[in-house]
Amino acid sequence: MASTRLYTVIFVTLMAFSTAQALFEFTGILDRAYWFALGVIMVLSTIKATLVAGYFQHLVHEPRSITYLIAGALVGVLALTAGAAYSIL
Amino acid sequence: MTEHADHDHEHHLPPKSSVKRWLVTTNHKDIGVLYIITSLFFLVAGGILAMMIRAQLWTPGGTLLGGQGYNQAVTSHGLLMVFWFISPFAFGLANYLVPLQIGADDLAFPRLNAMSYWVYLFSGLLFLTSFFLGSSLAGGWTIYQPLNVPAFIPEVNQVGSLATIFALMLFVAAVTMGSVNFLTTFYRMRAEGLRVRDMPLFSVSILLTVWMMLFAFAALLAAVILLSFDHLLGSVWFSTAEGGSLLWAHLFWFFGHPEVYIVFFPALGVMAEVFQTFSGKRIVGRKWFVIAMALVAIQSFVVWMHHMFLTAINLPIKTIFMATTIGISLPFDLMVFALIYTLAKGKIRFKTPFLFSFGALLLFILGGITGVFLGAVVLDYQFRGTYWVVAHFHYVMFGGGTALIGGLYYWYPKMTGKMYDEFLGKVHFAMFFVGFNLLYFPMFVVWETPRRVFDYAAEFTMWHRLATVGAFLFAASFLVMIYNMFKSLHSGEEAPDNPWEYASAGEWAVPSPPPLENYPGVPSYAGGKLSFLTRSEAADGGTVVEQEVAGTEQTAPDGGAIAHAGAAATTPTTDYAEELALEDEHADHASIWPFAISASAFVTFLGLSGISKAYFIWPFVFATGFMVAYFGIEGGRREGFGWIHPVVMALGGAIAAGGAYLLAIDKGGLGAAIDGASVYFWLTTVGAFMGAATLTQLGFEEFNVPEPAIAEQWPFEAVSNVKLGMWMFLGSDVILFGAFIGSYIFMRVGHGWTDWHHDFIPEAHVVLPGLINTYLLLASSFAVVLALVAARQQNRRRLLGYLITTFLLGVGFLINKAVEWEHLFHLHEGAFADGWTFTTNIASSSFYITTGLHGAHVAVGLLITLYLIVRAYNGAYLGEEEADTIEHFGLYWHFVDIVWLFLFPLFYIL
Amino acid sequence: MGPGGISTEIAYVLGQTGGLSRTPADVFNTVYLVFLILGTLVGVVVIGYTLTKAWRYRDDGERDDESESDKVVRPVLGHLPTGSGGGKKLFVSFGISAVIVLSLIVWTYSALLFVDDTPPEVAAEGEEPLEIEVVGKQFNWEYTYPNGHTEEPTLYIPEDRPIRLKVTAADVWHNYGISEFRVKTDAIPGQTTTAWFVADETGTYEAVCYELCGSGHSAMRGDVVVMEQEEFEEWYANTTDGSTSASVNSDVTGDTDANANTNAADPAATEGEA
Ligand code: HEM
Ligand SMILES: [Cu+2]
Ligand SMILES: [Cu+2]
Repeated sequence: MASTRLYTVIFVTLMAFSTAQALFEFTGILDRAYWFALGVIMVLSTIKATLVAGYFQHLVHEPRSITYLIAGALVGVLALTAGAAYSIL
Repeated sequence: MTEHADHDHEHHLPPKSSVKRWLVTTNHKDIGVLYIITSLFFLVAGGILAMMIRAQLWTPGGTLLGGQGYNQAVTSHGLLMVFWFISPFAFGLANYLVPLQIGADDLAFPRLNAMSYWVYLFSGLLFLTSFFLGSSLAGGWTIYQPLNVPAFIPEVNQVGSLATIFALMLFVAAVTMGSVNFLTTFYRMRAEGLRVRDMPLFSVSILLTVWMMLFAFAALLAAVILLSFDHLLGSVWFSTAEGGSLLWAHLFWFFGHPEVYIVFFPALGVMAEVFQTFSGKRIVGRKWFVIAMALVAIQSFVVWMHHMFLTAINLPIKTIFMATTIGISLPFDLMVFALIYTLAKGKIRFKTPFLFSFGALLLFILGGITGVFLGAVVLDYQFRGTYWVVAHFHYVMFGGGTALIGGLYYWYPKMTGKMYDEFLGKVHFAMFFVGFNLLYFPMFVVWETPRRVFDYAAEFTMWHRLATVGAFLFAASFLVMIYNMFKSLHSGEEAPDNPWEYASAGEWAVPSPPPLENYPGVPSYAGGKLSFLTRSEAADGGTVVEQEVAGTEQTAPDGGAIAHAGAAATTPTTDYAEELALEDEHADHASIWPFAISASAFVTFLGLSGISKAYFIWPFVFATGFMVAYFGIEGGRREGFGWIHPVVMALGGAIAAGGAYLLAIDKGGLGAAIDGASVYFWLTTVGAFMGAATLTQLGFEEFNVPEPAIAEQWPFEAVSNVKLGMWMFLGSDVILFGAFIGSYIFMRVGHGWTDWHHDFIPEAHVVLPGLINTYLLLASSFAVVLALVAARQQNRRRLLGYLITTFLLGVGFLINKAVEWEHLFHLHEGAFADGWTFTTNIASSSFYITTGLHGAHVAVGLLITLYLIVRAYNGAYLGEEEADTIEHFGLYWHFVDIVWLFLFPLFYIL
Repeated sequence: MGPGGISTEIAYVLGQTGGLSRTPADVFNTVYLVFLILGTLVGVVVIGYTLTKAWRYRDDGERDDESESDKVVRPVLGHLPTGSGGGKKLFVSFGISAVIVLSLIVWTYSALLFVDDTPPEVAAEGEEPLEIEVVGKQFNWEYTYPNGHTEEPTLYIPEDRPIRLKVTAADVWHNYGISEFRVKTDAIPGQTTTAWFVADETGTYEAVCYELCGSGHSAMRGDVVVMEQEEFEEWYANTTDGSTSASVNSDVTGDTDANANTNAADPAATEGEA
């Protein structure tokens, strides 16, 4: 069980990243470099999600098989999204 | 050995002769029987429709049912057979047998098991009800779009159509509960020494089936939920010309292809089991058989577009899916050969179960060969939409069904304690097999007949008549079966523990029918074979001692029942009785709430089928108020009143009153609101209130399910049952929300990713509300984490404080969202002069529905939070283990948070 | 065509017979035939083998149990499974079946490329494809010719000239197919699919809807009239003349698009889009 201190650090990081994401819009970067901004924003979301899953849901302390379970579901649904979207390009 | 069952330690369960027993039971064997009977009932329903179809096809352009009627019959037949008959039939067997085969005394979550049965039953009843609400769905079991959105359904048929869609939704809910339950059972409750790969093949097949079910049905759920909102609120997911049709096809077939294996795998398991028993041989290449099955299960998720070869998908993707399709047929070759070679050197006894399994193999070979035809894309182009496909999938699917019927004969003695009549069984098989081929083979011959069309070339008439004759013979064969089952139940020979020579799986080592707790002691395979430990030994950690196995020589003439370890098992000595008494205090086997909750769901969804858009939300607002208040009442009544209870009751009252106030404003007075409400509104309201009450009761009910003292739990040793169940559920939720987000991405790509924003989204849709909500949710997640820490530290005051903080933050989230939506609904901006609502365009539809469903998850989470608060007030959840409940809730809440972390950028920033 | 002709058929479909023009119908019929023959063969062999084994090893109480069980370990109640040999045989048969299936599919892939492509070889011979737009709607087919003329519900086409269809739907998902010419493709609202075929004989055929599209689905059929080339040219020239009214041959009044009509000319010259 991780310490409250660690939780707090993660929480602050999450808040900061969210703010950063919104800043792309507020500062107009999104308009100027759309695909770059999209990439960074999605990477930030992924990091945030990983932090929540890893520490708030303490996946890091669970047997790895649970991570695989969730990863499997994720891969499946990404295959669906990517395959479907690609098929109409 | 039936004394156990009669000797009444049946744990508050009424006897089997009483109706009440069947309403309250949570025992897997009872529920298995219920599943089987119910699925056979739906087989009859679907079968009657099939007879009507075949009757209409007696002459080209027959007129028995008329155009719409014929479509309705075809559609309902498909849906009933695929969903309400074949899988539940297999799961009836699985319910009964899996725990016996793996050495568990029940499924991991008995009440959930009962619930999934009852929801299944009521979903089927809702389906049947839809026939009386204008018409059930008539757009094909594949429910292609946009044919099945309201714009293309006549007004009078819309209520029934939506009821069918809800029936499907409920069915999926039942399936998901079942999958979570089975997976947890498989991974946490295997007998000591029983590795996953060593489980009997029927259990292996069910394990792989539930994996596919967990993921595949979540995609169907996503599709059906979106469709229901197109009906209920007029969103435009599937009526959007750019991609709506294809979106459905992708979602449906992403589910649909795994579904064909979901249907077939249990049959494969039965075949493997029956082949081994009746040829007296272990299956050839067992390891490869299992590996092949696992490969198919994985690959099944990457072949879905072979159902879409004629759509506008591009050539590279066609090539990929052609390759994966052929790839998936190869493991099947291996499995078929394994079954065939198992016969060699066997001692084959052509008993009814074997006949059916053997017949199934032959049918499957034919279905498989014709499937390879379909895998060749040039051929598929022409077969698409013809009777070739119809014949092919009946050969494979009902070929599977054939094996399952064999399974029913095989396990009938185990389940009833009576032998079926062998002669009638053989008669059944003869009629069945001849009827089957007479019915479906001609369809290959006249494959050029268009599918779902009752007109065909005159020169095909003879073949179609042959098929119709076959159909009636086929149907009649089932009457023989049903007669046999009934007759044998009353006058059949008594079945021994093991009537089949060479049967090897665990279920045959216990009495027929098995006693409530399944085993005389704790089963263990640690010595390479089944033995039974006493409960105290098991509690000591249960390494197998040689003496345990000493009594298990295989000498009995009937194929050798296992002699139970020590004297304990054969006669209920005082020791044994004490052991059972010990267990008595722990395990519960009866709860009425699964039934009651499912009945409530039935009423609610029946109401929703006809409710108007303007009234849709209100029943839930009132029911939520009621539920909150009821938490306060029940919590205080059961555990002692304190200040929290009146506060919660008042909160509930306030929600209901606030709702009434808003409703009155909306409709111009409460009187007008009531006058404007249809009967469907009241039905929904009644159902929602029933649901609120029964769910609360379930929440407060004491229901003990001991986890096994020793069990093989690879690879989930270190997690509790509930936690694993929670994760399994979240796994399916990943697919559900992933599919929503994927749908959004697909539609946006279809429109042109960057044009989307410009074309569809009003200026007023800004980032700030989303950002605020992100802050709120993240903070609430943090609060839940702190609540867990507090609970572990046994600090009641802080636990309560953090839970209340979570609650308030969540409420803030919902209020912020409501304000935002209200604003967007009533825009008067340039292109959106009439506001930006569900119906405006695909961007608004996807925004409201996706974030709305997320919001619904938040709302459910808040209800749970309130429940936790009420219980925590009286000191619940304090301590290392007690805090687990908080942890499990946290898993859910953080998941909802994670979903939002993606919704926020996708719907607010990009 | 008897099995004797099969090798030339195969060469034909593989495109190794030089100047012969292939049509999708030829391709389908050949591939189908090959599959049918091989499928039957495999089916007969496998099912025959299975039945023989099942009969050979039936338990008739005559075979000596003891000597048998020396060789075969029979399953025992409650015992964990042990392997049961025969793995080699399993893999050999699996290998054979895999080779058959894979080579069949690889072979048909070239056929797929041919069918999915625009009609290439034929075009080279100077027979320009005729491009026709097809719109499915409950419960009829509407055809638009290159000159903008529309027909409904009958399709008129020349014989021996590749016809290229661009298919879509106005309301719900349909599927357009003419069984005789082995052509079929989905008609999906908002999407356009293509397919091509050659009608090699004059006469009247049927275009059928192969996707459930509502109460009138079963009756969603339209005639396909194949005419001799000159006859068609004549008919087609007529349609361009009457620029505002529907064709005399049209059963149902089709809206003739006036704009499209202005650039109408000799159909052979209006190609180029494909
Ligand atoms: C040898 C392996 C198999 C191959 C290569 C194969 C291939 C295919 C293909 C390509 C289609 C699409 C036909 C079309 O609509 O154009 C199809 C349809 C279908 N297959 Fe199979 N299949 C195989 C085995 C199975 C099995 C094991 C099952 C079920 C237990 C099954 C059930 C179905 C069903 C239900 C459909 C029709 C779906 C519908 O349109 O309603 N197939 N198969
Ligand atoms: Cu498939
Ligand atoms: Cu149609």
